[in-house]
Amino acid sequence: MIETIVNADHVLLRLEHVDKVFQMGQLAVKALSDVSLTIRQGEFLVMTGPSGSGKSTILNIVGGLDSVTAGEVWFRQRRMTAFTSSELTRYRRDTVGFIFQFYNLVPNLSAEENVMVSTELSSDPMDVVEALQLVGLDERRHHFPSQLSGGEQQRVAIARALAKNPALLLCDEPTGALDFSTGKRVLRMLVDLNRQLGKTIVLITHNSAIAPIADRVVRLRSGQVVEIHDNPEPVPPEEITW
Amino acid sequence: MSVLDRKLRRDMMSSWVLLLAITSIITVGVAEYVAFGSAYANLTEAKRRYYAQCRMADFSIDLKKVPTAELAPVAELPGVAAVRSRIRFNATVALEGVPRPLNGMVLSLPDRREPVIDDIVLRSGGYFTDRRQNEVIVNDRFARTHNLQPGDWIHLVLNNRRQELFVVGTAVSSEFVYLLGPGAIIPDPEHYGVFYIKQTYAEDVFDFDGAANQLLGLLAPELRERPGGVLQRAERMLSPYGVFITTPLVDQASNKYLSQEIDGLRMFAVFMPTIFLTVAALVLNVLLSRLAEQQRTVVGTLKAIGYSDPQVFFHFLKFALAIGILGGLLGCVLGYYLAALMNIAYRGTFEFPELNNHFYLGLHSTGMLISVLCAVLGSIHGTRAVLKLRPAEAMRPKPPRQGGAVLLEHVGWFWTRLSSGWRMVLRSIVRSRMRTAAGVFAAAMGAAVLVAGFMMIEATVYLIDFQFRWIQRSDIELTLKDERGIDALAEAARLPGVDRAEPTLNVACTFINGLHRKKGGITGLTHDARLTVPHDRAARPIRIPSAGLVMSRKLAEILHLKRGDTVLVQTIKGLRRTYRVPVVEIADGYLGTAVYADINYLSRLIGEELAVSGVQLATDRKAKHTAALWRELKRLPALEAVNSRADMIESINETLIKHMNIFIGMIVIFAGVIFFGSILNASLVSLAERTRELATLRVLGYGPWQIGSLMLRESLIVTLIGTVLGMPIGYMLTVGMARMYDSEMFRFPVVSSPGTYIWTIMLAVAFALVAHLVVQRTIHRMDWLEALQAKE
Repeated sequence: MIETIVNADHVLLRLEHVDKVFQMGQLAVKALSDVSLTIRQGEFLVMTGPSGSGKSTILNIVGGLDSVTAGEVWFRQRRMTAFTSSELTRYRRDTVGFIFQFYNLVPNLSAEENVMVSTELSSDPMDVVEALQLVGLDERRHHFPSQLSGGEQQRVAIARALAKNPALLLCDEPTGALDFSTGKRVLRMLVDLNRQLGKTIVLITHNSAIAPIADRVVRLRSGQVVEIHDNPEPVPPEEITW
Repeated sequence: MSVLDRKLRRDMMSSWVLLLAITSIITVGVAEYVAFGSAYANLTEAKRRYYAQCRMADFSIDLKKVPTAELAPVAELPGVAAVRSRIRFNATVALEGVPRPLNGMVLSLPDRREPVIDDIVLRSGGYFTDRRQNEVIVNDRFARTHNLQPGDWIHLVLNNRRQELFVVGTAVSSEFVYLLGPGAIIPDPEHYGVFYIKQTYAEDVFDFDGAANQLLGLLAPELRERPGGVLQRAERMLSPYGVFITTPLVDQASNKYLSQEIDGLRMFAVFMPTIFLTVAALVLNVLLSRLAEQQRTVVGTLKAIGYSDPQVFFHFLKFALAIGILGGLLGCVLGYYLAALMNIAYRGTFEFPELNNHFYLGLHSTGMLISVLCAVLGSIHGTRAVLKLRPAEAMRPKPPRQGGAVLLEHVGWFWTRLSSGWRMVLRSIVRSRMRTAAGVFAAAMGAAVLVAGFMMIEATVYLIDFQFRWIQRSDIELTLKDERGIDALAEAARLPGVDRAEPTLNVACTFINGLHRKKGGITGLTHDARLTVPHDRAARPIRIPSAGLVMSRKLAEILHLKRGDTVLVQTIKGLRRTYRVPVVEIADGYLGTAVYADINYLSRLIGEELAVSGVQLATDRKAKHTAALWRELKRLPALEAVNSRADMIESINETLIKHMNIFIGMIVIFAGVIFFGSILNASLVSLAERTRELATLRVLGYGPWQIGSLMLRESLIVTLIGTVLGMPIGYMLTVGMARMYDSEMFRFPVVSSPGTYIWTIMLAVAFALVAHLVVQRTIHRMDWLEALQAKE
């Protein structure tokens, strides 16, 4: 069995021959085709590829937001594809922090309250103010999303993801809606979380300029993995440009 | 308070107009349930207590005259628990300061206080004393209306003699909770009272030594529901003494009206809330579906963060729960006070020693439960749709709705003539099926409530018109104490101000058609009578035939007779012979079961030349003459009753029409809540769903009023379709109610004039316009640029 050959210390997640088909009305769209991939504990993984290449689909599957059509997904020694709905919920609650391109803050909750949305769920949460301090927004914690800039909203989203102390941070185009310098600041924050707090980070982007900051880069095209390469010396975010 | 609850609170506050609209529908529904339910319980409990307190008779038998000694065998009939005999006569009453003679019923009570069947409850003063024979206890409402108090003297004409009586007390009795004088349709305490006199005094003044003319009885509990057999046996035993009528409790006038009212309340307590809460549930469904849809991304995010399905579901459910709890609480409070108001109205209509509005914990809890249940059921459908989404799917924008052509577009000549605005309106109506269905249903229910309400009023007005303008046309009706000859008519014709006098003759009899029999009476009229004119179904006057009967439709139905059939008539007074008589015409009417015949023909039937038992008068209505006429009538001892049509109509107008106006107000408000709530909800939801589309129109140069006109057209079409569909439902409701209230005493005409429908449509449109004002305000305040930028 596959478990026997998994090195539990190093592999956090593993996808094996995963297919994903979306049914859009009468149309079946194949989003992933025979994708196999491992995500290692504590690494900073960047997945790039043009839109429609399957990045978000992988992220959603890894995050327990979506199911596979075929294939298997393993989280440590557990077979995620066999998770019940409540096991998936528990997994998302305890293990994963999401950061979305459009932040997905609850519009009628303040910054602080948006963070509390996740701390109230967690058994071992960070202090809300501390989480906001980490992203440099403790001063603006009473502001509502509509009163914050895009970068600030994304930092609130990061604080929200962090605050419940997840092992895995999944970032879906976190800089996609941000300007260049704000984007880099957010990337710096993610790198620090990875290096200093040891969080495993999976970041997906269509912007391949971001790839050099990663420990490992996965390139996707048309729902398939076309390249995986290790990056033994990642570049600091301040040095990249797009 | 958890963060999600804070979100919920803010969600609710930001859509407070919608919440208000839905909550008000639920509130009205629950309030109706609690109000009708409380009123039902109040009346039922008051009735039960009162009947027990007075030992309400299970039956009464009216006779010509029976020696009390002959009643013992009846008391011993199996199933008869107890009997009491009494003397009962009609009398006229002369009061100081009241110009006209009044009518009353005189009943005997034991000289000494003892518990008896159909007992009284004293309200002021005391029971009879030994000090004088001519003491009287007056029914409380009559006494209060005329400011009579213990210690006053009044004059009653008893057995053709004017008697002076000393008022010792005032009282109420369970047999007169709803006290109707002969021929009246509502209680009229100003002109009709009940007077209790001592048994020995009654025997004396009516020459009834050791005799009685009414038997009251209690039955064994198991026979109360079906007293037919034992009453038939009692009637047979007493037939030598001339049984006029045997009345089981279910047919006792006061009990019947009271029971009908109670039954009606029970029906309304189920029926009205069902309408309102169904509408509320549908409207809530539309709102919650929209809310859940609008918060698709939030739902996805919450799930991504780790909230479980039940947590998210319960979050949305809380929205509905809050509405349910709020609506329930407000409904309970409103319902309690509505019940208190109804109680006040009932105290004016029914005479109970005590009628209080109580708080019924069970009823209020059920009201709350129903409210919450309605809200939850209404929201489950909408909420569940989002729950089924996987979080990743929930965060993706919803795939565009199936576009495609709507059915109407295939009607080419029609569709091509429509402006783009109308096309948008029609497409939106056809595509949002659930919303349109909810809107149509709500409007239909609102319209049904309006139509049924208006028809009730039309029925009342029509009934009064039919009875007191078409059939009964005399100004004054005199009932004579005894049958007289033709001279009585001449005497009456000579009274001041009398233009026309017509004789009447009332003959009590039993109608028999095979197995069907019914006690009743025949009213004799002259063949050219103009003061009582029976009418047929098409409201055409019926001429009194020289031989045979004109029978009311209700009685003909009971006896299974039709026009042209013959019926056996057995008279109770006089020679007590049986005749076979043809039914020549069927008359329509809404009160009682009248039968008319030519007075000469009827006189011959009872073996007399020309007998007169009443005279109807048409007067010149001049105040001077009327006053003189009343003075004369007050002096005449031979009168058993004096009825004035004008007084009757006036008292009906005073009480009934006043109640009607309150009733109309309530109906319109209730229907308004339905219309307003559902239209507002549908429009605001539609507005929210189509923000981008409408924002685009704004950018293209549409003004806020033009955008508003699109929304208004949509809600007007939905409202009008619903209203038109609701009209026949309202009509059917009225037919159902008429069936429910159909009895020998009283029937409910089903009439609907164009006015009912025109008013319903006008009100529906008015409510739609008022709701649109709120929508228009929202359109004016909308930030269109933001709407355009917002991501789907």
